[in-house]
Amino acid sequence: MSSQELTISGYFKNIYDGISSCLKGMFITIQYVFFKKHVTVQYPEEREELPERSRSRLFNDVQNCIACNQCAVACPVDCIYIASTRRAKDAPELKTATGTAIRLDLTQFVIDEALCCYCGLCTTVCPTECLTHTKDFEISMYAIEGMKYNYLDSEVKSWRTRLVKPEYL
Amino acid sequence: MNDSFVTNGWPMFSTYTDSINKMIPEAKAIYELREVGDTPIDIEAESVHPVCQHLKTQFGFHVLEVITGCDYPDRIEVSYILANFTDNQEVILKTKLSRENPVVDSVSDIWSSANFQERECFDMLGVHFNNHPDPRRILCPDDWEGFPLRKDYKTQERYRHMIVNPESKMNIEDREFANKQKALEAKQKALEKTKADAMAEPKKVAEIVEDKKDDQGEKS
Amino acid sequence: MNENFSNQEKLKTDLLTINMGPQHPATHGVLRVEIKTDSEIVVQAIPHIGYLHRCFEKHAENLDYRGIIPFVDRMDYLAAMSMEWGYVLAVEKMLKTEIPLRAEYIRVLVCELQRIASHLMFFGTYLIDLGAFSPFLYAFQKREWILRLFEELSGARLLYNYIWIGGVWNDITDQQLKGIEKFCHEMDLEIAKYHKLVSGNSILINRLKNVGVMDQNLCFDYGLTGPILRAAGVKWDLRKNRPYSIYDKFNFEIPVGEGFKGTLGDCYDRYMVRMLEMEESLKIIRQCLEGIEAGDIQAKVAKNIKLPAGEIYSKSECPRGELGYHLISDGGKTPYRLKIKSSCFTHVSALPAVAAGQLIADFVATIGSIDIVLGEVDR
Repeated sequence: MSSQELTISGYFKNIYDGISSCLKGMFITIQYVFFKKHVTVQYPEEREELPERSRSRLFNDVQNCIACNQCAVACPVDCIYIASTRRAKDAPELKTATGTAIRLDLTQFVIDEALCCYCGLCTTVCPTECLTHTKDFEISMYAIEGMKYNYLDSEVKSWRTRLVKPEYL
Repeated sequence: MNDSFVTNGWPMFSTYTDSINKMIPEAKAIYELREVGDTPIDIEAESVHPVCQHLKTQFGFHVLEVITGCDYPDRIEVSYILANFTDNQEVILKTKLSRENPVVDSVSDIWSSANFQERECFDMLGVHFNNHPDPRRILCPDDWEGFPLRKDYKTQERYRHMIVNPESKMNIEDREFANKQKALEAKQKALEKTKADAMAEPKKVAEIVEDKKDDQGEKS
Repeated sequence: MNENFSNQEKLKTDLLTINMGPQHPATHGVLRVEIKTDSEIVVQAIPHIGYLHRCFEKHAENLDYRGIIPFVDRMDYLAAMSMEWGYVLAVEKMLKTEIPLRAEYIRVLVCELQRIASHLMFFGTYLIDLGAFSPFLYAFQKREWILRLFEELSGARLLYNYIWIGGVWNDITDQQLKGIEKFCHEMDLEIAKYHKLVSGNSILINRLKNVGVMDQNLCFDYGLTGPILRAAGVKWDLRKNRPYSIYDKFNFEIPVGEGFKGTLGDCYDRYMVRMLEMEESLKIIRQCLEGIEAGDIQAKVAKNIKLPAGEIYSKSECPRGELGYHLISDGGKTPYRLKIKSSCFTHVSALPAVAAGQLIADFVATIGSIDIVLGEVDR
């Protein structure tokens, strides 16, 4: 610790330094009162548009899903549960929007989005691009079971028109 | 990528091993140059403390970066990674300890950073360090049972009054759906097979009845 | 006679144990420090950690190499790009892959922006600990721009999963590069404003000078690295002394503490070193923007990555210190052992050494100046 003698001029210099440095700072902050634009987004009256690649709630288009199980294998937290049966030999041929033949019928496609870490690894390995991340971020629920999304449910399927790219509809 | 450190003879393995073997012969320091990755110097467990002291005073390894452990089926290996910031050198020392009684001397009197590192090694793998100033768990709670990073570790059922892996959070029904479906399909297939067998069986009965009639006919 | 004895000899005083508990606005996370105090002066400080322990090293033994990257993000969540890059460097050294040049430029660009964002976070939260409120808002306004750019690039604001084995996930557009150039210009003016507002303020100087001195010997003994070591006067930065990736192509200085206002290695030096590092990062970003060219962003890597048997210890320079990954592989699809040497873990161990003799308010300033994130301490 410095043990210099406090002279009279040192005493007044300390006062001058203290007041001048604080006034310099206040001069900068007062500009924000009068001159600078406000940057706060008044949510929920105003909402910002999220970028296209935003990774929020997942959506799987079960019409175009071939049940290849790649997303369940790639998931690091094992939150995707898939079950499927082989289509009967005499059933009509089905194809996805990208042209791949569908040989398996989905009987279960559930994603537990409370466990999901929103990393996007499942969407990168999907061969038909049916599993995508959407921009829906207002997904809070009252009960944690509500975070399990069953993509074979008719209400969830009806979101397709809003979320799927027009060329895959 | 800049590989000049490897081509310019860093780290100086032979210098270190020769010096260690000269000063502390019971360390039996050896190394085997590896093609992929880094090459460690293996030493005996009893001479860890004198070797570390020698490397610090002779070659200026004034920083201990990390003490790690790794669990193998027959042994536990503890690695010490030392660094020298003034000469830009680095060396990895490895010792082998037995799984039943992993004990080694602490180096916390040589470098103070060993304090927390050795506590973590004890917490995760169960390695005991002699003369450690504060030997207790660091990351897990103080009354936790077991050593998590061992390969045969099973989590305890209950911790104090709480269940460690509650079934309601394990999503058991969703995981078992596919298995249940397969079991149902297998049952159905078995049922169809027995039906098909039963359809084939009346023919056999008719044959036996005819044979009997023939026998009776022959008899009479 | 009995009246000659002073009152103090009749009173028996004891040390008071206070819990600077896991929930505290100034400990930057769930750090519990047990302080034994003699009125206002700290006599002994014992840190207790482990409140955010997720045993990530055990998880890593069951995940394939690509699946570990989202987990690695969550260690130091305020500098996630640096965490990912450190891990990916270790894997790529074992696989000996060649990374395309454009991917290297994007990685350097993104990590230097992450360094600026992390130091802005330090600036804002450190000053809030000390009682100043406005710099927090100014710093976060600039940081918001960086997080928005990262959201456009990778899809997430804080936990990116962007730097992959072999390259990066998505490409960066020319418009975004122009935006970064504009940001650099604005950031220069902002840093000048911060120096005017804060660095010369005599209240801050009197609060931080000669407090929490960590000199060179203490730093080497406790293994402290990063801005703390540089503030003690040691010119050691992995980007210059052990250049990885394309850092040897860039021209930048290493700011070192000089005892700007007090002793060498005190809190003010650590604060100043981080402010100067922001300016150096801007220099690197500008050189990146000049040198980046069109090309691939991802090298060809096998679909199922299997590392050859062996081990590697690879280090990289994170905003908070040196991050090391000790990866032991046995030839399978998952690592046999992944040990993470986190800088903040060793920094917390140095707190008991500097705590003795400080006032409690000085102790709060010391904890803030070592800039720890508990996600990295506990893993």
